[in-house]
Amino acid sequence: MLKRLSLLALSVSAPLHAAPHLDSARAQQLADLPYWIALGHYEKGKLGGWRSYVDDRKFFLADDGAHHPAQELQATVAALYAPASLGNQHAQCVFPARTRWLREQLTLTDLPRPDCSEYREWYADVAPHSAALIFPAAYLNSPSSMFGHTLLRIDKADTHSNETSLLSYAINFGAYIEGSDNSILYAWKGLAGGYPGLFALMPYQDKLSEYRSLENRDLWEYQLNLTPEETGRMVEHVWELKQVQFDYFFFDENCSYRLLELLQVARPSLDLTSQFPLTAIPTDTVKAVKQSGLVADTRYRPSRERELLARAEPLDAEEQRQVLALSADTAQLQSPGFTALPRERQALVQDAAYRLERYRANGQERDPAQAARSFELLRAINRNPPPPLQIEKPGLPEEGHESRTWQLGVGTRDDRAFAEYGLRMAYHDLNDNAYGFPLGAQIEILQLKVRQYEGNQWQVQRLDLATIRSLTPRNALLQPWSWQVAGGLERVPGKHGDEVLVSHVNGGAGGTWQLADDVLGFALGTARVEHHNDFAEFISPAAGFNTGVLWRNGLGNLSLEAKGDFFTNGEVRRSLSLNQQWELSRNLGLRLSAKREFSHLTSAQNEVMLEMKWYHY
Amino acid sequence: MKRILLGTLFAAVSINAMAEAPGGPNCGWGNMLFEGQRGTPAHFLASTTNGTSGNATFGMTSGTNGCSTKASLTYGGKSWLAMNGMMNELSEDMAQGQGEALTTYAVVMGVAPEDRARFASVTHEHFQQIFNTADVNAETVHTNTLAVLKTDPQLAKYATEA
Repeated sequence: MLKRLSLLALSVSAPLHAAPHLDSARAQQLADLPYWIALGHYEKGKLGGWRSYVDDRKFFLADDGAHHPAQELQATVAALYAPASLGNQHAQCVFPARTRWLREQLTLTDLPRPDCSEYREWYADVAPHSAALIFPAAYLNSPSSMFGHTLLRIDKADTHSNETSLLSYAINFGAYIEGSDNSILYAWKGLAGGYPGLFALMPYQDKLSEYRSLENRDLWEYQLNLTPEETGRMVEHVWELKQVQFDYFFFDENCSYRLLELLQVARPSLDLTSQFPLTAIPTDTVKAVKQSGLVADTRYRPSRERELLARAEPLDAEEQRQVLALSADTAQLQSPGFTALPRERQALVQDAAYRLERYRANGQERDPAQAARSFELLRAINRNPPPPLQIEKPGLPEEGHESRTWQLGVGTRDDRAFAEYGLRMAYHDLNDNAYGFPLGAQIEILQLKVRQYEGNQWQVQRLDLATIRSLTPRNALLQPWSWQVAGGLERVPGKHGDEVLVSHVNGGAGGTWQLADDVLGFALGTARVEHHNDFAEFISPAAGFNTGVLWRNGLGNLSLEAKGDFFTNGEVRRSLSLNQQWELSRNLGLRLSAKREFSHLTSAQNEVMLEMKWYHY
Repeated sequence: MKRILLGTLFAAVSINAMAEAPGGPNCGWGNMLFEGQRGTPAHFLASTTNGTSGNATFGMTSGTNGCSTKASLTYGGKSWLAMNGMMNELSEDMAQGQGEALTTYAVVMGVAPEDRARFASVTHEHFQQIFNTADVNAETVHTNTLAVLKTDPQLAKYATEA
């Protein structure tokens, strides 16, 4: 190996330039520096030694560079002295960040000067000057988006004075997905690391329309205080990652983790990645970036859906009917009903109608009739423009409660007292501390609850793999479905008053309505399959309902729910439950839960519990 | 398996790297107003999570949206082809007389900061002349804008640079 390297070094340095002799102690010393480790995306291997997150042969110049930072460094120094005639293929052109750093560290004054035209043009086009971290917030009807995504925007020197961030580039790290894997396969392969991860650089405008229009997510832009030099260093390194494949895992080695690494290349004094040994949830990474003092300024861009709802909000029922009529037929612009409205109300109605039209066109092929209607409405808006939209900034997502939750409860079930201990890996349920989260969205991943009854009798109370609920209110203009899915192990009433641990999968769909300002009512039809030891058959299906109200009050969120499951084997299981959260602080909550359960197998059971929730890390 | 994946990866990339001439089908040049957006939102654990990309482009397009840049089409180093992906936003902003896309348009047209308010109000006034049909494309919008600017004493200078 070493022989090969020295041969390489000899052969390339023969003509003019001689690579300096770098003894292995010095190489080792340099390769141990955090900056070299960051440039190679190395991490400490689980059994000692190093491994790189990069899973791509062409990123390494040494044979086993992925595992030996020092060998990679030696090979890089040798390659820097290759003949300049290699042009764009020269290591200096392929690895500009490594080149700069090694030149500075080793004072390499006699390097050949290849013409890196591709890199130069690219860099001049990006023209990095400052950067912003972009966080598309959760979308209510897609609770999985609570895990979110982060990307970087690279601004030019005049971007801010000219307000032209629409012309900036976005740096995005994502799984590279071939063809049309469906959602479930995507989720599975994402978890299992079945996709390679790649960096891409694209117009920020493309990402904006993807998130704000297509997915209807609000965007948060955190302007970073990176200097032009630091920003340039980061972009320089991004070039080295062009078409380079990383391992990609949903939970840890994901977009957010990679962006934190980039920020550490920009400003080597930062230590961000070590805070996420297990999982990197995008909101958490936003928190980490903010805590490290990188954020200079925060800007909010509401989604198209939120803009539509904000525009329609002051309209009364008759005006909302006009909105629907206008968006169906622009001839209504001349109808007596519309023209009778005061001019400033007309402006609001036609703007709402235009937004509704565009909302409906979302993700569709261009339809000439619809385009004609939109255009007609635009002309009407042009004649009578509405006042600019004023949308109140919602709570900052990074100031919501932390993701991991420890739970400690005490309660009684009928006349037996118990203590309950729980841990939830992520993230938020309907009653949890509400700041920064949309009302009616729930996503929980991996929750374990263990109960200790009097007499030191221990039992697993529940193990939830995932619980997702999405309760999005319907209104005159938009009629989204509400839905939920859940699966795992839980205790249900069994024979003789026992609690039986069953495995189950269930789901439901229905509607949600805004009953008052902070009150949602929902009704869903549900289906369930479970494996229950007291049942004769191995798997028992059931159909049922789940209905209730959710009220955001002064203490916290209150939910009142009724549920029923009617099994094909005759068992009928129903429950009434009440949960009230008392939000003590950002990361502390107290919850009172009361529940009455009915089953054909046993008499009705009552349970009351008071539970402390600590949202931690 | 891995090799096949790599192959397709580079294929996708090389297609991306080939810039289309203005008017070419792949750069979206010539799209009509209200062109549909690519893709559909996936509301379960799909693209909403962690951001996925079907390709791995690497820039050199923001100024031009994948179209090749012709020197004659650039103003002050920026190409107004960049507006290509913002036609819908531009039409909305111009109809109302203000907004980010309209400001961006002024900048790529080379309009100096002190003339941008004027630019916004003149284009707003002549919206129906600039966006003259529902089927208008970016090139026509640009031509129509130049025609409107020529009629304004303060802004005419920005219409002659081409």
